[in-house]
Amino acid sequence: MDALNALMGGFAVALQPTTLMWGFVGCFVGTLVGVLPGIGPALTIALLLPLTYHVPATSMFVMFAGIYYGAAYGGSTTSILLNTPGESASVVTALEGNRMARSGRAGQALATAAIGSFVAGTIGTLALTFIAPMVVEAALAFGPAEYFSLMVLSLVAVSAVLGNSVLRGLVALSVGLLLGMIGIDLQTGQPRFTFGRPELLDGIEVTVAAVGLFAVGEAAYLAWQGRESKGGEVMKMSGSLWLSKKDWARSWKAWLRGAMYGFPIGAMPAGGAELPTLLSYYTERKLSRHPEEFGHGAIEGVAGPEAANNAAAAGVLMPLLTLGIPTSATAAIMLSAFEGYGIQTGPQLFSQQGSLVWTLIASLYIGNVILLVLNLPLVGLWVKLLKIPPPWLYAGIIVISTAGVYGAGNSVFNVGLLFVFGLVGFVMRRFDFPAAPLIVGLILAPMAEQSMRQALTISQGDWFTFFTRPLSGSLMAISVLLLVLPSLLRVYRQRRDAAKGLG
Amino acid sequence: MTPLRVALLLLVICGVAAWQVTVIPQSLMEMTVGPTLAPAVIVGALGLVALLYGLNALRGREVDTSHAPGQEPLPGANKRLLTLLAGGGAFIALVIPLGFVIPSTVCGMCIARAFDAPFNGRSLLTCGAIAAVFWVVFARLLGVGLGPALPWGI
Repeated sequence: MDALNALMGGFAVALQPTTLMWGFVGCFVGTLVGVLPGIGPALTIALLLPLTYHVPATSMFVMFAGIYYGAAYGGSTTSILLNTPGESASVVTALEGNRMARSGRAGQALATAAIGSFVAGTIGTLALTFIAPMVVEAALAFGPAEYFSLMVLSLVAVSAVLGNSVLRGLVALSVGLLLGMIGIDLQTGQPRFTFGRPELLDGIEVTVAAVGLFAVGEAAYLAWQGRESKGGEVMKMSGSLWLSKKDWARSWKAWLRGAMYGFPIGAMPAGGAELPTLLSYYTERKLSRHPEEFGHGAIEGVAGPEAANNAAAAGVLMPLLTLGIPTSATAAIMLSAFEGYGIQTGPQLFSQQGSLVWTLIASLYIGNVILLVLNLPLVGLWVKLLKIPPPWLYAGIIVISTAGVYGAGNSVFNVGLLFVFGLVGFVMRRFDFPAAPLIVGLILAPMAEQSMRQALTISQGDWFTFFTRPLSGSLMAISVLLLVLPSLLRVYRQRRDAAKGLG
Repeated sequence: MTPLRVALLLLVICGVAAWQVTVIPQSLMEMTVGPTLAPAVIVGALGLVALLYGLNALRGREVDTSHAPGQEPLPGANKRLLTLLAGGGAFIALVIPLGFVIPSTVCGMCIARAFDAPFNGRSLLTCGAIAAVFWVVFARLLGVGLGPALPWGI
C-alpha cells in the first residue's frame, strides 16, 4: 500500500507539464537513437550528462528513462525494415521481423513489436513498483562486506556472461578497473596512475570513455572496414499497422511469456536483454502451432523477443535503483549521472530521494504510453531516418560526441582522450572484446575499493570477513561458480563427445 | 595488428602500470588498507589475463573479426582510419583559436571523407550546417559551455 501511495505521488510530479515535456523529449530521442545504427542509449545519455548542471534532477532522470525505454522500442524498426538491429537486444527481432517485411507484412511486424513492447514494458514497470521496495528492505541489512561481494559478483557476471569469451570479458574488465583507479585516492589523497598530469587527478570521466568506445570506436571500425558507405536495403512500409484477429491471437501469449523472461533476467547482474530475447524466441518456436513459419516470418518470433527486450529494460533498473549496482553500460552511465547530482545511490535512495525515484517509476508508465503513440504513427519518419547517407550520419555522431565531451569542461585534453578511447574501441571491436565490462569496471572500481577498505577496517584486517559472513560468502561463491562453470561445462562436453566418438 | 600483438600491448600497459604502482606515495595515515593494495591486485589480474590471452593467441584460438567472410576491410582501410582520427586532431588543434563551428566543420568533413564522401563544397556545407545546428542547440538553447561559435566571438 505504501508503494501505491508513493507511486501516486510520483504520478502527481510526472504529470506536471514540464516533467511530461522532458519525458516526451526522452522518448523521442530514445526512439531516434534506437532506430539509428551506431548510436545507442548509453552513448546518448553519456552525451547528455553535461546538461545535468543545468536541469533539475527529476526532469533529467525522467528524460534518461525515456531514452532508455525509447531505444528499446526504436531498435525493432531497424531490425524489421533494414535487417540491421539498432542495438544488440533487437538482433533476434530481425530473424522473423525482416522476413515478415519481405513478405509484405512490415506493418503487422512493427505493430506487434510496438504493442508487445507496451504490454511487457508495463508489466516490467509494475514488477519494479512492487518488488523494488522489498529488495530495498533486504538490502538495508547489507554491510560493506556484502556490498563488496555484490560488486564482485556484478563485475564477474558482466564479464563472464556478456560477450563471446570469458577471458576477453575479464581482460576488458581488468582494463576498466585499472582505469577506475586513475586519480586521487579519496582516503589518503595520494595520486595514482596520473603520470604527473593534473588533468588526470580527478580520474577518467565516464562520459569520455563511454562516448569514445561506443561512438568513435564504432565509427572508426566501420570506416576502416569501408563497407558501411555501400548501405543496406531499407524495406518499404507494407501491410496494415492494424493487427488482425489471428495476429492478436498469436501475439498476446508471446507478449506475456516474453515479459516473464525479460524482467527477472534483466534484473540479474549482467542478465541484460540479449539472453531473454533469445530464450523467448526459442520458446515461441517450440510452442508455436505454426513452427514451419519460423525462418519465413512468424509473428510470434517478433512479439515474444520484443516483449522480453522491453521487460528486461525495466528489470535492469531494479539493481540500479535499489542497490546502486549497474548491470549494463547504460545503467552504469545513469549511475554516474546520480553521482553528478551528488545523489547517493543504494538502498537509501528510496528513503532520501523517494520523490525522485517514484517520479522516475511513474514516468516509465507514462513513457510506455507515449512510446506506443509515438512509434506507430511516426514510422514513416523513422524509415526516412534510415536513409540518411552514412558519411553525414557518422559526421553528425562524431561532431555531437566531440561537442558533448568538450562541453562538459572545455577540456581539449578530454577530447584527445576521447579519440584515444575511440582507438581502444576500434581494437576491442575488431578483436571481439565486450565494451560493457570496461565501462562497468571503470565506474565500480572506486566504489568496490571503498567498500573493501571499510569492511577490512571493521574486521580489523581479517580478509575472511568476505567469506565467513553468510550473505557475503554466498555472493562470493556465486561469483566463483560463474567464473569456473563455463570452463567446467566445456570440459564436460568435450569428454562426453569424446566418449561418444569412442562408443 | 594481430591478437598476439594485442596481448603484447596489454603486457606493456601492465608493465607501465606496475611501475606506476611503485611510485604511489606511501600515506602517513595509519590504516588497514593503504592506497597501493587495490591497484597492485588489479595490475596483477590484468597481467594474468593478458598472459592467458597471449597464450590463446599463440595457439591461434583468439579471433580477429575482420577475418570472417564478408567482414574483411576494403582497400584503403588504414587511410580511412587515419582520416577519421585526423578529424579529431583538427578539432583539438583549432577549437581554442577558432571557436566551435569551424573546427567541428573540418572534423565532420574528415569523418565524412573516411566514409568515402568527397572533400567538396557539398561536404563543407553539410558539415558546416551540422556544426552550426549543434552549437545553437547545445550552447544557446541548453546552456552547455562550448565557447564562441566563431573566432570573432559570436
